[in-house]
Amino acid sequence: MFKVNAAIIHNYLRAVILLGFALLIVYLVASGEILLYVTPKLIIYLEAAAAGLFIVAAFQFYISFLSMKRTVIVCDCSHDHNHGHDHGHGHSHEPPRSIGRNIVIYGLFLLPLVFGTVLPNTALAGSLAQQKGMNLGGTAVNASSAPADLVELDSNEDPALKEKFKTTVYNRDYAKLGMLLYKQNVIEMKDEWYIEKLQAMNTFVDNFQGKSIKITGFVYREDGLPNNQFIIGRMAMTHCIADISPYGIITEAANAGQYANDSWVTITGTIDQTVYHEQKVMKIIIDRVEPAKAPSVPYIYPDWDFASKL
Amino acid sequence: MQNTAVQTKSMWNSNLLAGLCLAFIAFLYFFSTNAPGSVVNNPKLQIFKTMFISIILEAMPFILIGVLISALLQVFVKDHTIRRMIPKNPFLGIITASILGIIFPICECGMVPAIRNLIQKGMPLYVATTFILVGPILNPIVFWSTFVAFRTRPEIAYSRMGLAFIVALVIGLIVYKFVHPDQLKASLKTVHNHADLNNRHDHGHVHHDHNHDHHHGHSHARLNKLVEVMGHTVSEFFDMGKFLLFGSVLVGLLQTFVSKDNLVAIGHGQGSANLLMMGLGFILSLCSTSDAFVAQSFLTTFSKGALVAFMVLGPMLNLKGLLMMSAVFKTKFIVILSLLVIVFIYAGTTLLEAFILK
Repeated sequence: MFKVNAAIIHNYLRAVILLGFALLIVYLVASGEILLYVTPKLIIYLEAAAAGLFIVAAFQFYISFLSMKRTVIVCDCSHDHNHGHDHGHGHSHEPPRSIGRNIVIYGLFLLPLVFGTVLPNTALAGSLAQQKGMNLGGTAVNASSAPADLVELDSNEDPALKEKFKTTVYNRDYAKLGMLLYKQNVIEMKDEWYIEKLQAMNTFVDNFQGKSIKITGFVYREDGLPNNQFIIGRMAMTHCIADISPYGIITEAANAGQYANDSWVTITGTIDQTVYHEQKVMKIIIDRVEPAKAPSVPYIYPDWDFASKL
Repeated sequence: MQNTAVQTKSMWNSNLLAGLCLAFIAFLYFFSTNAPGSVVNNPKLQIFKTMFISIILEAMPFILIGVLISALLQVFVKDHTIRRMIPKNPFLGIITASILGIIFPICECGMVPAIRNLIQKGMPLYVATTFILVGPILNPIVFWSTFVAFRTRPEIAYSRMGLAFIVALVIGLIVYKFVHPDQLKASLKTVHNHADLNNRHDHGHVHHDHNHDHHHGHSHARLNKLVEVMGHTVSEFFDMGKFLLFGSVLVGLLQTFVSKDNLVAIGHGQGSANLLMMGLGFILSLCSTSDAFVAQSFLTTFSKGALVAFMVLGPMLNLKGLLMMSAVFKTKFIVILSLLVIVFIYAGTTLLEAFILK
């Protein structure tokens, strides 16, 4: 009797856990909070996974139901003289291993389900930048390699402009973007191409001196920054949270100290430059700071194809 | 028999009860000293929870595919079928494995469950080894993401692919020459042998019952197979899944509590930078599609060789994957494999740095 009971419990518990995962994914996708965990490109895979989980859960419920009537052998092992089998199914001839171990194992499976439902879904901002180290996208000051083949872009731009954005073959895309930005009166840093624009401007820091810029992000302070500086940043996600990286720009104002870490602000200012950790990076001299509302999904995403969309 | 059953049952009850009591006491203690709100909103817990769930979510589609393939192999593919499909010559075998790895771009979360069944159905150990090493890296998606992440330095992308291929080739040959072909976890096999002997007649009875009780009498053969595949899928899911989950807990904790600066401070000098990045790759257990971007953020901190080491070792040997492999392979084999991977990648990147990646 005992053996059959254990098998049934295992079966039902597994079915419930599978269903739980399926429901968790559905909930996250429906509420949009899935974006707090993975990039938009992965959503379709997760929807497929949820569908798969529902199907598998349904079958597992069926198996559990059957196992109440009699012992269910799921695998064909007696006919298939292949002994290298997994023993973890609801085999009736084998009682479960120590109960403690089972609690730990099923507890592990339940942990994400519990966390996902009980704890609020939050976006990660400044607190994570501390761990990861902020990307300021600068170029090394002491770059020893002489720029070998500087090329001009062929486009129908003003030749003087093209001259300013001469660069190596590999930076061509950023040069193109740089020229576009240069022509704007006020460079507005929206979510789209945030990383790419940052890279473009930092590659051609000298060209952007004195230009106006408007940018929204969270306030972040790294060790070593003087009191009149902080970094305005955004968290970028490439694939999932584990690879999340903060990107930002150093900003400067006499009253910079009054802005709390992790608070969201919109800054309008003028581009300057500075050297930070042996890199030449851009800096914003603040003209105006306005409080901003943190977007519910605050992450920015890289766009590999940006060059073709310019 | 009866006595043991009763004894085990009462032990089950009292252990469970004791565990629950302890948990309850811990719970009470904790919440008497900390308001529930502060616990729930603790930023470290938030980070951990987000990391943890995110790793599981992104692995979910792949592990499902992997266990499904494994289950399908188990039910539909006869033994030795795969052995017949793979060329006998070791070089060709390894090339075949590489091509398979290129064609099936699955995250290793999906590969490890399938590999056990592949080996049991006749895939030679050295071919399987090459497959696991090559699969996560040598595919178009990973190449493209590496190329894009380092678009200003394409030699890094090529180095990554080249090194991965050579390392897998060399290790595959070594496994062919020197390693005993039977490396699947022994405990599985012996347990099952006993079980089969004791219950052969029971199995027969059960199958008989199965056929009678099926509602769709005419298609019961098909339904049996389908249920079998699904049942297997679930079992493999839980078997592999527990390692994935445990690995996710570890990686989540590391991401939450260890800062990049700490790690960077540890690496001094040329040689150890490579080792440090390899260690980081091992610990972070990133999916090979996105590790290039994390590597890119280290461009200004470490040499290109160290970055390539990170990107080649990470997918081949990482905390999450190691745990999953321990479900399938003997410990000795895993240790040998790990050492080979580490040594060859270190040597490879040192050579690369001398000649190609200045």
